[in-house]
Amino acid sequence: MLKRDHTLSLSTQARAPGFRVELRGTTFRLIASGAWTVVEATKLDSALKRLRVPIPPTPDFTGEMDIAGIAEIDTAGAWLLQRTAAAWEEGGLRTRYAGATESFRILIEEVQRRGNAERPKVGQTSAMQQLTEDVTKALTGVWSDVVQLTSFLGEVTAALGRMILQPWRFRPKSFVHHLDHAGLRAVPIIALICFLIGAVVMQQGVVQLKPFGAEPFAVNMVAILALREVGILLTAIMVAGRSGSAFTAEIGSMKMREEIDAMRTLGIDPMDTLVLPRVLALVVALPLLTFLGDITGLIGGGVMAMAVLGLDVSTYIDKLHDAVDLQHFMAGMIKAPFAAVIIGLVGCLEGLKVEGSAESLGTHVTSAVVKAIFLVIILDAVFAMFLSAIGM
Amino acid sequence: MTLQNGREVLISVRGLAKSFGGYQIWDGLNLDVYRGEILAIVGGSGQGKSVLMRVITGLIKPEAGDVALFGNNAKTLLSQDRLEIEKRWGILFQDGALFSSLTVLQNIQVPMREHLELPQAMMDDLAFLKLTMVGLPPNAAHKFPSELSGGMRKRAGLARALALDPEIVFLDEPTAGLDPIGASDFDHLIRKLQQTLGLTVYMVTHDLDTIFTVCDRVAVLADKKIVRTGSPAELQRHPNHPWIEEYFCGERARAASPGERARIPA
Repeated sequence: MLKRDHTLSLSTQARAPGFRVELRGTTFRLIASGAWTVVEATKLDSALKRLRVPIPPTPDFTGEMDIAGIAEIDTAGAWLLQRTAAAWEEGGLRTRYAGATESFRILIEEVQRRGNAERPKVGQTSAMQQLTEDVTKALTGVWSDVVQLTSFLGEVTAALGRMILQPWRFRPKSFVHHLDHAGLRAVPIIALICFLIGAVVMQQGVVQLKPFGAEPFAVNMVAILALREVGILLTAIMVAGRSGSAFTAEIGSMKMREEIDAMRTLGIDPMDTLVLPRVLALVVALPLLTFLGDITGLIGGGVMAMAVLGLDVSTYIDKLHDAVDLQHFMAGMIKAPFAAVIIGLVGCLEGLKVEGSAESLGTHVTSAVVKAIFLVIILDAVFAMFLSAIGM
Repeated sequence: MTLQNGREVLISVRGLAKSFGGYQIWDGLNLDVYRGEILAIVGGSGQGKSVLMRVITGLIKPEAGDVALFGNNAKTLLSQDRLEIEKRWGILFQDGALFSSLTVLQNIQVPMREHLELPQAMMDDLAFLKLTMVGLPPNAAHKFPSELSGGMRKRAGLARALALDPEIVFLDEPTAGLDPIGASDFDHLIRKLQQTLGLTVYMVTHDLDTIFTVCDRVAVLADKKIVRTGSPAELQRHPNHPWIEEYFCGERARAASPGERARIPA
């Protein structure tokens, strides 16, 4: 903001911006006063828009922007003056400025020069066209995701093969670190969730089966459900949310800071150092967590069974023996390593897809979690069909 | 309004102290920023040049000492008054700190949108004006920050800092990471904007070329305080301090000093 006089502190009245137009001789004069600053710009803008461009009766009429009364001016004020002057010029009035100080003149000339720059056009698309584009983009996106994930699976398998042939490529430190973060530190939350769900399912089962006098069968239901579905699904979803997102965020922020490029130039393969330890750690951790989920689910069911069915511990265990055998346990367990590979691959792949901005990191973390959970549930459905087909 | 030696003091810092992790970086630091000047803060790394900017702008709290902003003590400011003061300054962070989800034009409009109620058409026009004033090409308007080069991001950040026509701008290493041509263009831009908009410029810099070509006054941070202030030529003639001597009389400084190049006229 430029002031006419720095030692002068403006009274409220002098600050109020304003203008009037008068005709003196053959000159139309816009006499401006007060503070023409961005704070007052809205008022000035609407008042100036209402102002009609004077129509010169003969070509020798001229215009004048008398700004001797302006005490403060900034870019917005200068732009408003300039817009008015340009409109007057357009209407056939040669317009000049009067009463400008040196600094005011520099600002107005700068605004005048810059205001003439050509504005780029923003491409406008119709709603229908936009919709078609979005749908096309979404569908091709799904296909390219499938392709990318498949090729990434191939790359990781190749890297694993290399590692088996050259075992010194294995990074035990990193593997143990991720085993700790994705596995050990997930124990409390997974135990708690499975315990609660086991208890809730037991309680609901008893309530629903009571009218048929079949409430003892709630134990069978909980046992089979916990071992075959709930243990693995809850654990996998939890791990996808906890560790899959963490993988994307870690790898993604390394990608953002060009650390991955630096690794490549130093001859370090990000596959060996970043991807494999994470995927392998999950492949080890997820079955262990699933086992934990199974057991705590059964314990949760048992606690509730004691409360609502009045069973004691040994009866509950006997009933479990009758209800399930190894096959049910294995039907749940077999899915764990597959789910682990999916979560690990999706997490790492999304991380590697992150580009420069923080927004991109956020998008990829979200999509890693969503895709991983979606794929885990698809996997579960495929396994359900497969296992029932082979009679398990 | 505080006057000192006949010049208006916009910002005055008295007796500032701050330590990080047990290490005291300043003890009794004093500094005045006068209206209309281009002030450079120089100092070795770890002397807290950027931290000083953050303390003045209120991002970091000092342990002791006072900061007076436009004659108001920052400590006793009410949040409403603080907001008014924040409208009177603009800050350019090192890499522009543009909001990555907004286009350049939208970035420039953020302060206008937050603090004023302007019609959209006018905000577009004003933002576009600011964009051209900092020397960005018109087609940069609808680009996202990730699509811009480092130099362009700085210019866009400067345009955002200038959105409300502030009285003072803080520049954190404005020429760092720019090639010599880009850095020299930026020097000219700063001088030009300072003249056009009547700005006061506070910059943290390492760039000797910038110091010798555009800065009116240099404040040297060393020994936990501002050891000296003065024009670049003055400091070069009479360093009176080992660090200043090394800085202003070293090989690089001799190459950059005005003997061999023209100073941008004020």
